[in-house]
Amino acid sequence: MTDPIEPPHGTSTHEDDDELLPCGRLLSRAWADWEDQARDDRSRDGEAGDAHPRNCPHCREAVRGLDELESAVRGLRTETAAADSYDSEPLTRRIMDVVRLELRPGRPLPLGEPAEDLWIMEAVAARTLRSAAETVPGVRAGSCRLRHVHEDGTVEVRLDIHAPLGVPLPDFTERVREQVRRVADRALGMPTAAVHLRVTDLLPPTADDDREGRTP
Amino acid sequence: MVGAPPDTRPDTDDALLVVRAAEGDEDAFAVLVQRHAPALIQLATRLLGTRTEAEDAVQDAFLSAWRRLPEFQGRSSFGTWMYRIVTNRCLNVLRSRRPTAPLEAVGDVAAAEHSTSPARITEGRDAVRELREALDLLSAEQRACWVLRELDGRSYEFVAEAVGISQDAVRARVFRARRCLTQALGAWR
Repeated sequence: MTDPIEPPHGTSTHEDDDELLPCGRLLSRAWADWEDQARDDRSRDGEAGDAHPRNCPHCREAVRGLDELESAVRGLRTETAAADSYDSEPLTRRIMDVVRLELRPGRPLPLGEPAEDLWIMEAVAARTLRSAAETVPGVRAGSCRLRHVHEDGTVEVRLDIHAPLGVPLPDFTERVREQVRRVADRALGMPTAAVHLRVTDLLPPTADDDREGRTP
Repeated sequence: MVGAPPDTRPDTDDALLVVRAAEGDEDAFAVLVQRHAPALIQLATRLLGTRTEAEDAVQDAFLSAWRRLPEFQGRSSFGTWMYRIVTNRCLNVLRSRRPTAPLEAVGDVAAAEHSTSPARITEGRDAVRELREALDLLSAEQRACWVLRELDGRSYEFVAEAVGISQDAVRARVFRARRCLTQALGAWR
């Protein structure tokens, strides 16, 4: 179907569903104008370039159904709004119950003396070390990998952190490294050969950081 | 935050939590679930029509995300990624609901003269109920495109990416959905 008056807008992508209005415009065009108009009204108090949709009785008639639909849509939008009120606790619990039952392939790491035959999964050790790093106020820990298990049972830790802005990094990272080393050694019984830190972002400190400097 | 999982601070940003969860940190994933569930429940409720079905769809989507996290490259935000997974999950549910496509039949009705003064749609609860029922007349794809565009207020570009089709295809589906809905609501009075 083609529009003899304005070819650029006349070719319908809606095929047999479209309709030619008595004014020569396609229904799809009138509705698209209505949609653009609604957007323009919101953004710049509606000074639309094309006066036809406002003046043409056929186009105005064609969008009346849409205006009416819109008021029902507003009602349904309100009725189905859940983003601010939904209590996600029960659903989170349901989901996490399944997640915790699933076995993730992971790497076991040796703990203690070789003769002890004691192991810990890398993901569990990593979680403990991230928490250790976060006892230093302002730290948010990201990736934590435990690599290179040495003959003597020591491991190398690679940890990414977000650090607070405006804090001298050498001192700061040394404190983080010390915490990680201490917890690895005492809580896990896993002495570290090295703790490699990578600061991946600097963030403005939050009020929480002053209040909850959790020192074990 | 009530019941925030231990060891994970509630103000930690999504990108860090995603990295941790991909490395097997379940607590980090729990924070992501809790944070994103309300918006996704809203989306799924709009797509499927009932809260119960929405919760099942969102649960499935999060479990699928947990399994696929190690491959998630962070090309989009976690929220956008989940939005896509939920949309696709809901599309599958909608498709399985209707073995036959009543779309053609609806299209025939909709193709009848629209410009012969559609009956006025009464405002208020009745119109909302009618609209909810009329949504069942749409095909799965029309419904998804229309809901994302009209109820969720997304751009055509965003909808196209979420549904995985071209913007033109989204426009065509929204157009058909509007024809069907205006017709259904107009005919009701």
